[in-house]
Amino acid sequence: MKKILVIDDEAIVRTSCERALGLEGYQVKLAASGREGIEFLENETFGIVLLDLKMPDMDGIEVLNRINEKWPATKVIMITGYSTVETAVQALRLGAYNFIEKPFTPDTLLAAVREVTENSGGPQK
Amino acid sequence: MKNIFRHPEKSVASKLIIAIGLLMILLTLIFWYAILIKQEKDITSIAVRYGGSFVNFTKESVRASMLNFKRDETQRMLETLSTPQGVRRVSIYNHQGNILFSSDKKSTGQLIDRNTVACKGCHTDPEKSPALQEAPRKWAVYRDEHGYRTLHVIDEIPNEPSCYTAACHVHSPDRKVLGFVDAQLSLAFLDEALLKQKLAITAYVVLFVLGVSLFLGLIIYKIVSKPVSELAQGMEKVAGGDLDYTVPIKSVDEMGVLAQTFNSMIKDLKMARDQREKWTQTLEEEIAKKAEEIRKTHASLVQTEKLASLGRMAAGVAHEINNPLTGVVTFAHLLKKRFPAESPESQDLNIIIEQADRCSKIIKNLLTFARATPSEKGKVSINDVLNRTVFMVQNQVKFHHIKFDVHLENYQFVIVGDSSQFQQIFLNMFINAADAMNERGKITVATRRITENGRPYVEIEFTDEGCGIKDDDLPKLFEPFFTTKPVGKGTGLGLSVSHGIVKHLGGYIKVNSVVGKGTSFFVRLPLTEEGK
Repeated sequence: MKKILVIDDEAIVRTSCERALGLEGYQVKLAASGREGIEFLENETFGIVLLDLKMPDMDGIEVLNRINEKWPATKVIMITGYSTVETAVQALRLGAYNFIEKPFTPDTLLAAVREVTENSGGPQK
Repeated sequence: MKNIFRHPEKSVASKLIIAIGLLMILLTLIFWYAILIKQEKDITSIAVRYGGSFVNFTKESVRASMLNFKRDETQRMLETLSTPQGVRRVSIYNHQGNILFSSDKKSTGQLIDRNTVACKGCHTDPEKSPALQEAPRKWAVYRDEHGYRTLHVIDEIPNEPSCYTAACHVHSPDRKVLGFVDAQLSLAFLDEALLKQKLAITAYVVLFVLGVSLFLGLIIYKIVSKPVSELAQGMEKVAGGDLDYTVPIKSVDEMGVLAQTFNSMIKDLKMARDQREKWTQTLEEEIAKKAEEIRKTHASLVQTEKLASLGRMAAGVAHEINNPLTGVVTFAHLLKKRFPAESPESQDLNIIIEQADRCSKIIKNLLTFARATPSEKGKVSINDVLNRTVFMVQNQVKFHHIKFDVHLENYQFVIVGDSSQFQQIFLNMFINAADAMNERGKITVATRRITENGRPYVEIEFTDEGCGIKDDDLPKLFEPFFTTKPVGKGTGLGLSVSHGIVKHLGGYIKVNSVVGKGTSFFVRLPLTEEGK
């Protein structure tokens, strides 16, 4: 479960995640769009997907729905640029495991990821 | 008054005076004429009576000389008799009309004028027949060549036994009338007296008519003309718009009643006009008030729109900044881990992280500010949210030296909205209060129910004992990014965000501030439901 897919249209966010998680030993793959992310998911199995909520071609919510549908075992952590509670709440309702707000520190990110790996197999909250 | 003289056709008084004057002149003329006629008649009849006496006297005077056939004596007698003034001629003529004796000697022997009363007094037509008049006359009045009247009086000299038995035997006893005495008496004196009387009466009449006319004129002027012209003047003034005018007529007659009615009509008119003017003024004030309201609403709309567009822009910028900020934060943290905690590099990186954190906070506020609609709408109890917020801040370091004085009215102030938004507003107020007091002092929190324009509001008061707000700063208080706090402490968004939310709920924020003493913020929100 150490494989993590980051889907974000912003390169710096992707790189940040890659470096922060990579240093902790996670295997990180990066996708620049929702479409690309789905393609990766088709070919590989990821334990966690870090998913940007707002992207140009395919919305985060849409990608989330697709993942829940096809790969229910994969946990999704939403990355949101809006500090709006309701979007995050909506994402959680739709089956996201958690959400983190931009800008996040490596510690926040790792905490969120660790929570998933530690609770993996257990019931979702 | 001048109308009466200048334009008689325009004045009622002058018409009345002329009419009455004419009537009086006519009546007095008739009266005057009747009197004169009667007087002339009376005087003439007196003259006739005296004339008759004179003729009889003449007859008696000449009787003796006639009987004695003393012609000279008779002639002398007649001359003597004609000496008094007024006796023009005394003659004696026979039945044939021959003048036998006359005071005027020249006419002796002439024939008398047969067209006078001398013949016609008894005979119908003396030239042709001896026929007698039914009512014989013994006198007549003629006018002489000078226009003076002359009274002719005649009397017969009847035949008496002494006449036909006298020695001269001139007359036969068969004859009834021997001759006639004819006296011509001038009436010039009487006529002159009459003329004088006529003139005097005329003068009296003229004076009388003038006097009566003048008196009538004055009376009519006083009771008709003057009030009427005053009324007309009043009407003119009123027509000209002067409704304060009253007609100064105090009489109790119809004119007075008319004036009184007129005055009360003007009073009513004035009242109506004043009422109308008052209405107009009220209407104007109302319009001005509405215009001001519209202007204010417009200004507030413009302000709201300005804030909204600013908010949209800020949201876009904030969203974009979050991404690079993520990179800055992440890599600064990662880099920090490579250096020992006390190393200068680590401390420098801490600054980078702190500043990035500050940026993040600004952005968070901006995004809150930009959020147009509340997320989770529901019934919110203002008192509950206030209590929660107070409880929350009391545990913060910032508020450790601040005393809270909470007076919440026992009402369930219920408003439909997002409780997190209310919490944000209250939190902003507490943070501002704490900053203004340098985190030491007392914050008073109170809620109360007020009514404004017939609508129930909840007023939430936040009073601090801080530095106060300068007058210059008051208008800028709700502008985004306006702050008086030191750099790095405030974003200048707290109050503008609060203002936006309160406005959105139909409320407003009032500020009372005294520099050096403290500031009170009053958040007023319209109540959705009455609490019990």
